[in-house]
Amino acid sequence: MAAHQRISNGAAGLAPALAVSAVSPEPVTVQSLTARGCAVLLFVNEDCPTSALAMRKLGPLCEEWEQAGFSCTAIFEDPLEVAIRVARRCGWTGHVVSQPPPYQTSRAYGLVSVPTAVLINRQGHITDIVTGWDQAAIMRLIERAAAITGTTLAIPEPASPVRKPGCSSKAALDPAIAAAMAARSDEDEMEEMFERGWTDGLPVVPPTEERVEKMLGTFPKYTSLGQVPPAMGEATLERLAACAVLAGCRPVYFPVVVAAAKAALDGRFNLHGQAVTTQPAGQLIVVNGPVRHELGMNSGMGALGPGNRANLTIGRALRLMVELTGGGMPGGLDRSTLGHMGKIGFCIAEDEEVSPWPPLHVERGFAPGQSVVTLIGSDAPLSISDHRSRTPEDLAYVLAWAAASAWSTNWWPLSEPSVFIICPEHAEMFRAHGWTKQRLREYMFEAVHKPARDLGRGETTPDVHRSGPDAEVHKWASPAEIVLLVAGGEAGRYSAVLGPCTGMGSQIVSAEVEPR
Amino acid sequence: MTGYVSPFDDQVRPEQPLAQRPEQLGGLRVTLLDIRKNRGAEFLDRIETLLRSAGAITARETKEIFSKPAALDLIDHITMVSDAVVEALAD
Repeated sequence: MAAHQRISNGAAGLAPALAVSAVSPEPVTVQSLTARGCAVLLFVNEDCPTSALAMRKLGPLCEEWEQAGFSCTAIFEDPLEVAIRVARRCGWTGHVVSQPPPYQTSRAYGLVSVPTAVLINRQGHITDIVTGWDQAAIMRLIERAAAITGTTLAIPEPASPVRKPGCSSKAALDPAIAAAMAARSDEDEMEEMFERGWTDGLPVVPPTEERVEKMLGTFPKYTSLGQVPPAMGEATLERLAACAVLAGCRPVYFPVVVAAAKAALDGRFNLHGQAVTTQPAGQLIVVNGPVRHELGMNSGMGALGPGNRANLTIGRALRLMVELTGGGMPGGLDRSTLGHMGKIGFCIAEDEEVSPWPPLHVERGFAPGQSVVTLIGSDAPLSISDHRSRTPEDLAYVLAWAAASAWSTNWWPLSEPSVFIICPEHAEMFRAHGWTKQRLREYMFEAVHKPARDLGRGETTPDVHRSGPDAEVHKWASPAEIVLLVAGGEAGRYSAVLGPCTGMGSQIVSAEVEPR
Repeated sequence: MTGYVSPFDDQVRPEQPLAQRPEQLGGLRVTLLDIRKNRGAEFLDRIETLLRSAGAITARETKEIFSKPAALDLIDHITMVSDAVVEALAD
């Protein structure tokens, strides 16, 4: 397109007219913005972190620049109310305008990505363009503006990052394709979901606009929770709500899905590593607090299995976010050799009422009355049967040694969490003998060790290589790597252990469930 | 009847063109990036020896951890001081 060529060449073409709206009813035109010297148009959108970066860096200077005849205008590809809120949050002191779909102004300027800064002189000619965040190029643009206005202009403090790629402009998507993507066809809509690739391989609930609106409720759809690795798709609440609809969630589950997504996108969790690894790791969601009862979650019989809509669909919604919004689909960017069934959805509720111990969220610093989700990168469950132990020592020994092959037979010690789900009958044994959670954890840690000479075959750790043959190596680096939860049916002595996701630096992350 | 809401981030990501490939190694500033994957450094040691014997000027950098993208500051630094980069993947 002509405008695109003009922009990408950086030649001094005439700036196209603006089709934007502002708070003030007065029309915003290129002529009105450049009347006192020159103007910079900063094209941005709410979803783009680089847009926010550019607004934070330049925004505080706009007011001063305006006095010198250099006007700044942020042109949002978002509704005006969103534009005003985001601009305020970023400390932007210049003009704020908005353009509706199909983003006519962005198209006229041939935008490919945001942020894009366009410098226009008093004659209405484009004299400079900077795409993405490029500190050196922005300095050049400001120098040119200073030359036009004949003044000295303040410059932003140099600080990292000096460069950051932008995001795609909303105008870059062909309107015909966008319309086709949103349109419903006359075909069987369940089959259509498969054709669109909006599935994890199982049938899904089609995310119609009505269903997504109901899922969102009062949540603001344009707010982003961040970028979802590995493909770094933007997790707007609207997209997350679409994933929750696809998964089969009821709207009342959505606050839990939001909390799980926030925890998953926390950098300490390292979802990026988990999403692309050849390991089988899934993202285990543990739900604690009153919300378990409000949603009718199952922490009892068959807690790790089928039968409960909330357990199954909340976990599935998070995984669909990773697979669809994040592009972490097995065989694509997800390179897991085998994966495991928990990668379809992996959500459990702790049975706090049956547990003899403080629940997981209280151990992690939350109040008992808070509803909290905790995310843990976890392998598939291994069942541990013990119907014969008559002392807590014997039972703790059996439970702990069941995990001896977690990750790999000779990979000792593990520095990441192994999650033990203790069934009620096993938990009762520890309650009856007054064992605290910490006592059990320390006993299990002390129980499982071997001399290094017995751990040398095949895959083993640098710790084993460094140790003398008689040195005792523990299965875990410390008792803290043993996470204990209580869940399961009241009858039957089957607990389970979930091995860790290792080597990623993944930490356990919790997030409070915030009410609508 | 209304449409659907896509779970995908449908925006087209701008394509980044590949940098021009160097024609010779003599005098070239090459950064060898160790991503901290097991034994990757051994591979880079061998590559570094070969590059130096061909006249390249080498430097070594290390990612914080293999399982996360490199920090933008590290990428900025490497692009400022290097003509070419070799990133070692290993397993």
